[in-house]
Amino acid sequence: MAGAPVEALKRVPLFIDLDPGEIEQIARLFKERHFSQGETVTREGSGGAAFFLIESGQATVSVAGAERAMLKQGDHFGEIALIDEGPRSATIVASTELVCYGLTFWDFRPLVQENGAIGWKLLQVMVQKLRAAEQGYLPDLTA
Amino acid sequence: MKDAVPLEMARDTAIFGSKAVGLGEAIRQGLPVPPGVALSGSIVEAVAGGEEEAIEEVTSAARPLHAPLAVRSSAVDEDGADASFAGQHLTLLNVPSIDELTSALNEIWWSANSDSAITYRQRVGLFTRPSVGVVIQELLNPDSAGVMFTRNPITGADERMIEASWGLGESVVAGLVIPDNYRVDREGRVLERTPGHKKIAIRSVPSGGTVHEQVPTELVERLCLDEDQLEELSRLALQSEQVYGPARDIEWAFVGGTLNLLQCRAITRAGI
Repeated sequence: MAGAPVEALKRVPLFIDLDPGEIEQIARLFKERHFSQGETVTREGSGGAAFFLIESGQATVSVAGAERAMLKQGDHFGEIALIDEGPRSATIVASTELVCYGLTFWDFRPLVQENGAIGWKLLQVMVQKLRAAEQGYLPDLTA
Repeated sequence: MKDAVPLEMARDTAIFGSKAVGLGEAIRQGLPVPPGVALSGSIVEAVAGGEEEAIEEVTSAARPLHAPLAVRSSAVDEDGADASFAGQHLTLLNVPSIDELTSALNEIWWSANSDSAITYRQRVGLFTRPSVGVVIQELLNPDSAGVMFTRNPITGADERMIEASWGLGESVVAGLVIPDNYRVDREGRVLERTPGHKKIAIRSVPSGGTVHEQVPTELVERLCLDEDQLEELSRLALQSEQVYGPARDIEWAFVGGTLNLLQCRAITRAGI
């Protein structure tokens, strides 16, 4: 089966309200990507090309050089720069061998535009980040 | 329409990219290009996405080639994109076996969809979905290699300018050495030869990838091309101009005395 395993996507909060058919459809759009330990996955300030789900391994998130969070299996990152076509908001570095499933901007945008449930979920995630930012705490920046 | 074809059958730049089509044309015209396979942008994307049918088509097309393989990107989306995206799209020298093609193509596809490639696209106003074809060829293990301009790219003079070094030509292209420099007139007469300072040679290693090898001291400043080889390069320049037109930028390699053409494109530097 090409793309990301359906089971991996079912674990992702972003897709939790989708029916199995929709998840299968989305899974086909993802492509596996490997990062070596220590490799920079996203660089703060750079343009953003893809949204990623972590299949295995861990990555650290830092903003302006300060470590903010650790990402692990099932976490996703990279959506912010894809939504506003702005620069990456955080630097993410693979702290172990990292296997991700990536969805590029070109597939991510029509997916969200055509799927209200995913759009709503993304909105909820964004609002959580906004509230956290307002309280001066950024627990889960996702580039 | 097959998406994985022998290089000589690659004719459409919108499908296979300018590098693949340029090499295909060279083979059809009898120029000395090593055998290879051209992959369309769509099949590269399908292989990167793990589609079994696409993987089988690529594997079957590449099977006649002897590993190790050189896997090079051939951008297909915009006119001249191959030149403008040089450095953005990955080239993988020395993929050790056919079995490792899938992960090589995945890496190349992601290189065209990386943050840095997207940043570059935004900067130059080409914010469109990337499509990257691929050329797969048997990896050469050259004695010497480099580039040749069929017209002087600095002065615009009607003469050949050749840069050469030991091992794979990537040391010249990447600026890792000061290459030998030769100026040859259109009749093949050598006008000037200036030895470089070639401390590093890039060689392939059996397990895959390449290594930067120290060049023996006595070879660092020794010219790596003799009279016969310069004559042969001069003939290649003429043939290439007959096929493609004037002002060409050629990558070449000598392996065991045989000259190979690796790439031929229009000169893009100033002065022309």
